Parts: sequence; C-alpha cells; structure tokens
Amino acid sequence: MRLYIFHRTSYRYPSPVTQSYNELRLHPLSNDWQKCVSSTISILPICRPKSYLDLNGNIVHYFELAEEHQKLAIEVRSVVETNSRVNFDHFPYGVNMSTLSKMGGVPEYRDYLQSSTFVEINPEVWRTAVDIRANSTDVFQTAFQVMCFIYQNFEYCKSTTTVETHANEVLKIRRGVCQDFVHAALALCRCLGIPARYVSGYFFDSTRDRQMRGSEASHAWLEVMVDGHGWFGLDPTNNRVVDDTYVILGTGRDYRDVAPVTGSYFGPQPSEFEVVVRVKPTDD
Amino acid sequence: MNSHSQFKNYSVDHFFDEMFIDNEGENPRPHYERIFKRLDSLTESEISERRQQADTSFLEHGITFTVYGEEGGTERIFPFDPIPRVIPESEWSVIERGLRQRIIALNLFLNDIYHEGKIIKDGIIPEEIVRSSKNFRPEMIGFDPPQEVYAHICGTDLIRDDQGNYLVLEDNARCPSGASYLLENREIIKRTFPQTFGGMSVRPVEVYPDLLLRTLEHLSPRKSQKPVCVLLTPGVHNSAYFEHTFLARQMGIEIVEGKDLITIDSFVYMRTTRGLVQVDVIYRRLDDEFLDPLVFRKDSMLGVSGLMDAYLRGHVALANAVGTGVSDDKVTYAYVPEMIKYYLDEDAILQNVPTYLCWRESDRSHVLENLENLVVKAANESGGYGMLIGNQSTAKEREEFARLITSNPREYIAQPIISLSRHPTFCEEGIAGRHVDLRPFILYGEDVEIVPGGLTRVALRKGSLVVNSSQGGGSKDTWVLKDF
Repeated sequence: MRLYIFHRTSYRYPSPVTQSYNELRLHPLSNDWQKCVSSTISILPICRPKSYLDLNGNIVHYFELAEEHQKLAIEVRSVVETNSRVNFDHFPYGVNMSTLSKMGGVPEYRDYLQSSTFVEINPEVWRTAVDIRANSTDVFQTAFQVMCFIYQNFEYCKSTTTVETHANEVLKIRRGVCQDFVHAALALCRCLGIPARYVSGYFFDSTRDRQMRGSEASHAWLEVMVDGHGWFGLDPTNNRVVDDTYVILGTGRDYRDVAPVTGSYFGPQPSEFEVVVRVKPTDD
Repeated sequence: MNSHSQFKNYSVDHFFDEMFIDNEGENPRPHYERIFKRLDSLTESEISERRQQADTSFLEHGITFTVYGEEGGTERIFPFDPIPRVIPESEWSVIERGLRQRIIALNLFLNDIYHEGKIIKDGIIPEEIVRSSKNFRPEMIGFDPPQEVYAHICGTDLIRDDQGNYLVLEDNARCPSGASYLLENREIIKRTFPQTFGGMSVRPVEVYPDLLLRTLEHLSPRKSQKPVCVLLTPGVHNSAYFEHTFLARQMGIEIVEGKDLITIDSFVYMRTTRGLVQVDVIYRRLDDEFLDPLVFRKDSMLGVSGLMDAYLRGHVALANAVGTGVSDDKVTYAYVPEMIKYYLDEDAILQNVPTYLCWRESDRSHVLENLENLVVKAANESGGYGMLIGNQSTAKEREEFARLITSNPREYIAQPIISLSRHPTFCEEGIAGRHVDLRPFILYGEDVEIVPGGLTRVALRKGSLVVNSSQGGGSKDTWVLKDF
C-alpha cells in the first residue's frame, strides 16, 4: 500500500518564548516491509533541522530557535510504501514458550525484557500475565491473548490519562488511549519473558465506517519477538495484527524513547496546542 | 494497420510523443493502448460527429474566454480536443510529490521574505531581486496571513522535453485560471467517449470545487460559525469571467464585484437584498494592485476601500494572500531549486528549465549573443504576452528585445527553446501531433491537495509552442490512470 501522511503539530504561547530546542521523531523508517519514499519537514518560524540516528535506529531531527517567537508549527508530509509482514494464513505459531528462557541472553533483546520508564516488571503484573497466558505454550498465541485481554477489558477513553501515565496505573484503572494500552501490554509480555517493544506510527483506517480508534492521530502499538520469525506488530487498541495499513515512525522501550515531539524552551506554557494527522492512500 | 486507420499519416517527427513510442506512430505506450484502439476503429464521420458533439456542448455551456488587445474584447470558445492526455499513476505520483515540495518551499519563501528574510541574510537570494520584484508588497512585512499560508491556489505549468522529462515552466501563485475547463472537459469527455472512459480506472477530478471550498473555509477568522466565503471578480469583462461564475456556482458561494462589498469598522460586509452580511473569506480573482484603492492603485474601480485594513487586522481572509506575485516572478522562479534545498534540505523532484538571468552580466551577454536560439520572457508577464521565441522571430523583433533587455535587465530572463512533447490532436488534416503542456492545480488549505492530472493545454497551430488560450491554444482532458 502507498500511503500519504500529513502531520502538523502547532503551539501558540501567551507571550514570546526563546531558546526553544526540539527533537522530532516524525520521519518514517525504511526497513524490510516499509519504504519511506519521501518525508518533508517544514517548520515555522523558518529553520532547518539537522538529523541523526538514535540508539534504537530511529531518525531524529532536531532544531533550535534562539530568537523570540510566539508560535511554532511543525509539519511533516511523508509518502510510504508498505507491505504486510505477516501472512494472515500463516501466523508464526509453533514457537514454544520454553524457548524464551534463552532470549534474556541475547543483548539486543535485553532492553525489551526489562522495566523501562513507563513499564515495570513486578509480581502483581506477573500474576495477571500468568492468568492471561492460561494454558498457552505458544509465544505468538500468548502475545495474541495479551492483546485480546487488553482490548476486551480496557476502556478506550481520551481524558483519564496523560503522556506520563505509567503502565501500573493503566493496569489498575483499565482505561486510557493507545499509548497506555501498549504500555500495559508491554508489561504483561515482558513479565512472561516475551521481548516486546513500543512502536510509534500511524495507520490508515480502511474500514467502511472509519470507526477504528486512533486513526486520525499519532498511533502506537507493540511488537513482540517470535524467535526465528522476527518482530510482529499487535495493536491492542483495535485488536488487530499489524498489516500494511500501518506505518512505523520508530521503535523503543516505551513512549519515552519515541515521543514524536520533545523539547524545552524559556517561557510560559503554550496557550494553544494542536495536532492534526491525516493518513490516506496516495491514489485515493 | 487497416487501410482506413486514423493514424496512417501520423508522424512523431522525432519529438517526444505522449502516445507513441516509435517514430512511425504505430506502437502506443501501454497506458494509451485502449484509446489508440478506440480511435483507430472510428471512421471519419464518427470522429467528426464526436467533435461536433463536443463543440455543441461547450457552446451550450457557455464556456468561453475573452481575448485582450483586440477591438472591443472578443469572446471565444476555448477549443477542446477530444483525444485525452493520459498520465500513468507511476508518473503522476512523482509529479504530485514534486509539486507538493515546490508549493511548500514557495510558501516558506514568501513567509521568509515578509518576515526575517533568512534566505537573504544567508546569501541565497539577493535582497535587491526580492525587493525589486514588481509584486513585492511592503504592506505585508511582519504580517501573519491566516494559517500562515500565502499561496492557497497555485497553477504550476509543466512541460516535457524531448526525453520526456517533466520540467517546471512557471508557477502561477496569484490568480491561476483554468480549473473550470478541467472540470468541463471531464464532463464532456464522459459523454463523447463513454465506453472508453468507463472501461478505464481514471482518477476523478470532480472533487475540485469541494476541495477549493474547504481550502477557503479553513482560512475563516470566525471559527464559531459557518464561514461566509465569496468570490470577488473584476467583472464580466475579465477574460476568466466564465470561470468565476462557474466556480462560485459549483461551490455554492456568492460571486461579488468590488461594489457589492463595503468595509465598516475594519470588517467587510456584502450588500444583499436582506441587508449587510459579514464576509470571512474572499476568493479574489483580482490582482493585488486593484484590491484596495486606498492602498494600491488609486484609480481602481474594481476593489474595495478599506479591504487591506480589514485584512491586516485579521478580520477577513484573502485567498491568495497579498504579495504572492513575488513567486511568479520569473527571476524568483530560477531560485526555486535553491529554496527547496534551503528550506527543506531536499533536492528538487521536478527540475526547472535552465534559466539565464539577464541582470547577471555574464548571462546577459550570452543572451544577447544568442537571441535566435533562446526564448526571452518578461519576468512579470503572463498569458504568453511579452515573449520572444528566438527561432521564430524576425530580426526587428530581436532588435527590439535586445533594446528592452539592455535598458531593463532585471525584468528579462531567457531559456533554451525546449521542444515540448507532442500529443495526437484532431486537426484540419486529420489526427496530427501538437505540442502540449500541463497545468495541475494545487490547493493549500489545511494540507496540500492536488487534483489528479490538471489542464492539458495544446498549441493548435502547427509547430506552435505557445499553448496559452489567449494565443490560440486549446485544451484536452487529462486522465491519471490508476493501474499503470
């Protein structure tokens, strides 16, 4: 699928601010199942961002606005060619949970098995996770059950959590948005020894009534490592296995590693903050 | 080939032909195959019947334009050629990205020159070039237009060279015309070749008026209620008056002249039979100079006194913003690839035609020595006026242009003569190759939207490279085909 994404983030401040330093993780990745054809970043007040690759291999743009300004707008327009990396007739079943014990020894998975800023491994989460796992001995099946559990038992609700809400809190109140659902799923998977990472990105809602959650916004889901098969995406917000309607911006241990826009400046809190996201097929 | 083939005398003449791969005109490109077969199967009389049908439709619809400079102003039908121009999706997707990149860079440029002027300070573009542009409006300095976009509606002209590369010929970011023909051409082709059209997955263009209205409404300063948008026309004598009425009707908004609007306490109102109605957004098809006699031309009878004041206070939005003409300046045009690099850190996806800037001494002497092999253009004219095509000019014309260039080098640019691509077209002698260009329409509201394809203009006179309607050009429907 060829998708076009428009993402605008804008701030307005009650009085001029200075020394604004910002990092953006808004440039789609290119990998085996996704190719970023183009991605154009424009910023007002005018400035030209520089970029680097972070430790997780994400593309980061950063810029500095030293002069006084009262508005800031960041627009990104990307064209991405996507392929489904999962064959829906052949899910990667057949990898036994007992193989997971060796995962802890692989350095590249270690980060995704431990606690991180918004995710904690503790006995309470572990007990919930074991209940969800039930009799499953299969890695993909177990991760799938975690996704279903969250989708069925958590309420999608926009105003109860913030970008700083911890997985423990989410598991307790069982409410939140995509980011919270993913943090909860990460905690549950990691407790069971399944390497699990946070993915930030977008998806195109191809359903007829456009009723899926989080389609006109930054979205998040998780990926779990199935030994010998690779990373597979699961979207607990919509109870779906990730296919070619999803576009990846970046991956990390949790939201902290992939926040789309972060920064600091001297001045008052924004009086207005707006995010607009549009995703559509290029030949629509 | 069968004996009555419509293409038996067709020759590509070594130009880049849109339909044929080979010089003999026998092998169509894959995306033209169906159209080729259909045309080839028609008899003479069937063809003339279809042309007749198309002409009648245009007359009935009143699709006309006016030619200036002829006595009394002449109203003409914009000739329509029923052989559609086809662009495969794979080509279009590149064009679309290129146009999007270009319009974003142009808008950042306009924002920049009316604010800090970073691109000038960094030495990319000389300040004198920007400031001496005829359409630079100092009134706009420091002003933030609604949504911080300047060119909401832009028509960018593309041509193809002898290798088939798409090149940008010029940007029209003031009041580009032609969208109405794009829509009407589609309506008529559906009736002329219903089966061929229906059998192919042509991407629709009918959304244009809706997209345009959304673009306008997005600018409204009053967010709490449904915006009142109007189209401001110079009036019935304007060459594009048909288009003004057409678009206003399609969008369901009022068409007004300057005398229908009034400003009170820096707000703009429209006089209606039920009293005054506050106006939020003005789609103005009127050049900057005529907008407001208090600020610009004092003799303008077409504008509205106090309009600029209301605009600069943010009480009313104008589309396009005032001062966008700087980007239409053909000297500015030459810098667009550098703008794209400067603002977006990207290489231009669509290339410019190589351009000599006469204000540069080295360029100027080259131009003056090679007038016969160049096209010379006035930097701030449009519609094919103020232009010299070297190899078709007389010695006297060249002399005249040499004098113009020397006396005012800033206002002239020159480009190599590009042999534009040709397209099979109905002519007196049957189907023959004629030169074409392409004007896609770019809308910039919340985001950039481009209707697939655009208006293909065709130079109907044999050998002519000038496609402008005012210079005897016609138009074709343009099909972007999904599966190619």
